[in-house]
Amino acid sequence: MKINGAQERKRTFLFITIPVIALFFCFNTLPLIKGFIYGFTNFKGYGSYDWVGLRNYIDLFQDARVGRSYLFTFKYALVGTILTNIISLMLALGLNSKIRCKSALRGIYFIPNVLGGLVIGYIFCFIFTYVLPAAAQNLGIEALSSSMLSSTGKAWIAIVIVGCWQSIALNTIIYISGLQTVPEDVYEAGSLDGVTGWKKFRYLTLPLIIPFFSTNMVLSMKNFLMVFDQIMALTKGGPAQSTESISYLIYNNGMSGGQFGFQSANAFVFFVMIVAISVFQMTVTNRKEEQL
Amino acid sequence: MSIHKKAAGRLMIGAAAAAALLCGCGAKEGEDGKTVVEIVQYKPEAVKAFEALQEKFNATHDDIELKIDSPNDAMTILKTRFIREDYPDIIGIGGDINYSNFLDADMLMDISDYDGLKEIKESYLRTDKELEFVPMEGIYAVPYMANAAGILYNRDMFEEHGWTIPETLDEFYGLCEEIQKAGIQPLYFGFKDTWTCLAPWNAICVDLAPSDICTQVNAGTAKFADAYRPVAEVTKSLLSYAQPDPYAYSYNDACTAFARGQSAMYVIGSYAVPQIKSVNPDMNIDSFVFPAANSPEENLLNSGNDLQWSVMAGKEEKKEAIYEVLDFLYEDENIQTYLDDQSAVPCKKGDFKLPSMLDGMKYYIENDKMADYQDHHYPSEMAVDAMIQTFLMDDSDSALDTFLEKFDKEWVRYNRDLIAKVQKFYEKNPDKLTEGGEES
Amino acid sequence: MNQVKVKERYNWPVTILLIIGCVTIFFPLYMAVVIAFKQPTEMTNDIAGALSLPLHWSLSNFQEAMRVTDFWNSLGNSLLITVTTVVLSIVIHGIAGYAIGRSMKSSKFYNFVFLYIVSGMFVPFAILMMPLVKQTAQMGIANRFGVILLYTVFFMPLNLMLYKSYLANIPIALEEAARVDGATTWKTYWSILFPIMKPMHATVAVLTAMSTWNDVMTPLVIMSGTGKNTLPLAQLNFQTQFGTNYNLAFASYLLALIPILLFYLICQKQIMNGVVNGAVK
Repeated sequence: MKINGAQERKRTFLFITIPVIALFFCFNTLPLIKGFIYGFTNFKGYGSYDWVGLRNYIDLFQDARVGRSYLFTFKYALVGTILTNIISLMLALGLNSKIRCKSALRGIYFIPNVLGGLVIGYIFCFIFTYVLPAAAQNLGIEALSSSMLSSTGKAWIAIVIVGCWQSIALNTIIYISGLQTVPEDVYEAGSLDGVTGWKKFRYLTLPLIIPFFSTNMVLSMKNFLMVFDQIMALTKGGPAQSTESISYLIYNNGMSGGQFGFQSANAFVFFVMIVAISVFQMTVTNRKEEQL
Repeated sequence: MSIHKKAAGRLMIGAAAAAALLCGCGAKEGEDGKTVVEIVQYKPEAVKAFEALQEKFNATHDDIELKIDSPNDAMTILKTRFIREDYPDIIGIGGDINYSNFLDADMLMDISDYDGLKEIKESYLRTDKELEFVPMEGIYAVPYMANAAGILYNRDMFEEHGWTIPETLDEFYGLCEEIQKAGIQPLYFGFKDTWTCLAPWNAICVDLAPSDICTQVNAGTAKFADAYRPVAEVTKSLLSYAQPDPYAYSYNDACTAFARGQSAMYVIGSYAVPQIKSVNPDMNIDSFVFPAANSPEENLLNSGNDLQWSVMAGKEEKKEAIYEVLDFLYEDENIQTYLDDQSAVPCKKGDFKLPSMLDGMKYYIENDKMADYQDHHYPSEMAVDAMIQTFLMDDSDSALDTFLEKFDKEWVRYNRDLIAKVQKFYEKNPDKLTEGGEES
Repeated sequence: MNQVKVKERYNWPVTILLIIGCVTIFFPLYMAVVIAFKQPTEMTNDIAGALSLPLHWSLSNFQEAMRVTDFWNSLGNSLLITVTTVVLSIVIHGIAGYAIGRSMKSSKFYNFVFLYIVSGMFVPFAILMMPLVKQTAQMGIANRFGVILLYTVFFMPLNLMLYKSYLANIPIALEEAARVDGATTWKTYWSILFPIMKPMHATVAVLTAMSTWNDVMTPLVIMSGTGKNTLPLAQLNFQTQFGTNYNLAFASYLLALIPILLFYLICQKQIMNGVVNGAVK
């Protein structure tokens, strides 16, 4: 009876998993393979094309502009991921505690994520170009007295700010739902032992929401690495090409421009890199998960 | 227990039903026996004019049904339709690198037998010829509307101060200094949007660089470093007459500033006028040609094909209907319909009522003294606009040399396959090379 | 006794901090609302002008924006696509998360499947775009259904991760008890786990809806030519190469914000009403 049950369970799981894999293969892996093949051509996105062998890959590693875009993107993603996760975890703890106007506050903190790109672009450009420099001049802060967006050294910080502002909502929602899985009795037991504040968070809450922490890290890393909307809204890669992200190059030069083949190769290399990073991230957090 | 199961089941059935319903839609039905001619044109701002034209055409024609689509982001839509092998009959695009690329990919039909071509101004047809990567037999586009770029100025402000229109570069610098003395900002730039860096660049290029420089470079007979040196110098000299830190302000900021009288002039194309007028509808705007050369005769108007019609390859059997549609679009009355809606320069010969802000350019338009935007030859992935922005921001002494050197180097990098193709062509046809040179 | 006390006392310092934090959202939002009510002639490039109230409070921008975007039709399409995607995601991703998540500890195969699907999350859309355009056209699903199907695939990795994380905190004992009672795995999932995962369904619904609601690219390349618009597609109308009508655009974006905000507020109640605490005991 018991063996039968286990077998039935296995069969059902397989019966569920196989169609899902088939669907996923058909609309994700298959087009990826096709895109990978375009990486060996000089395809423009239309018309006829020639095979160019490994030329795109050789170019890729010699192209200074591509190299700069990787540096920019990784710097941006690292800072953005850390900031977003710290702030959204704090926000989630705050929004999950016993506060007044809970629903209203949660609703408000959700808004940044659903405002359209055009609105974000216009408003934040205005803030960075007009409001912030004026405020800095009044306060006598020299470093911010001109627009951040026109400085090759500071433009990326402006994009980090807007990127975090928008993505915090999403990560907060995930953290909040993670906090729901922490059973009340854990806290009750804790409060009997006099565990409060940081200790309560470190030893009671954190271990239980590690899977969500892991999901959030991977998710925000991925979202920040693929940054495109904020670049289009704020700088369009400028000033002086200092904020061209990888996705920006892939999209602008591959889709709008005539470098479809080359950018397909770029996209594939980028994909492999993110997978490697995320697998590493997940293994580390998985190990943590098991330890705790 | 079973309630949940039922709920889940219902959800699934609902989803499947919705999916099945959706499958049914989307199929396109052809009309009863009529020849359908489909146009996709890339200027969504002109949608009203084209809707009116479409209605008029369909009301007067029994055998042909005209469909004009003016989608947003038409280039992406066109490219995805090409991938699907779902070709419209006529495409309305600009005379730019996309046209060159589509032509190079053998996607367009030769329409040299179309009678209407005789009515088109020579310089616009020549512009299209110059957009061919290698000289081709035949004609592949009929220019419809052009736009013009140069300097827009605040006519009331000029009249008030008695400033005159400059005809040489020195006069222009003199004017700028005079305006500065009056305590007014001569120029306002929106260089945060890098593409606006190309506005002065193009306007200066037509005066100072050969119009077929890109073809010459591809053929290996010239270098950008020589041809673009004066262009780059003049472009950079404009910065001293503009607001500080122009890289902080967008195109929209600059339009607003000019509209609100914060600058006397604005180096941009006629296409910016609607945006400026939206902020200040009563503004009295006129324009003049950028006087980059030091003798008035050498100056040309920067004008390019903003909208032109090309017939997709493989539409031969529909040719008659397609030509009939083109004839209709080129009827004087219908061109005027477009002109009244959009401020533009018609490519057809004849007397049309031009918008008043082109008054200062009339002489050049009527005498066909025009040359195309150089950036219509630049591949978009090379990001020449961003390179110009980088150059303008670079304060070091070597900025100019760095920029010019980079221009030649990057050009080769982004046009490698094209250059190989062009040089192979000229090796086979050395006679064409001189022909191309003489033409300009 | 102790518990009742805790429930009654609000955490005021945190409340105040959170309210102060709202300024970072209210300031941009205020600008957006003000611009949505202004006329193009009131647009300025100085701070005082941008922050000033509109001369007339009139809904004309909103009416015009609704006309330009063919609001009700576009809204209908957006709703149809979003709701169907959300339903399919909850049904398919939920059960897939269960099957894969529960088998990962004991099976290398499922570990691989999990990593395989999750890694799909990192494929840049640009590389998939052209092949997908061709593929959907060949399969005859270059329409709203195709968009829904693609979304169901695109959001699978994240949702799978979420469901898997959630299940990690749900004791397996529940299912074993059901199995002893003779229930099949399929039945156990729908009758016991599916309802327990309600807070996670709500989370998945919010995240999926959020991503579909504002997406431009997928419908643009897949649905172009079907004559059907979603709201974000229709909103492209406000931007042309040489000019943008910010006033109409902002009015339209604020309108588009309302449905998704309402949806979130409904879902977040579900996220909160976690039944896990009861179930564990």
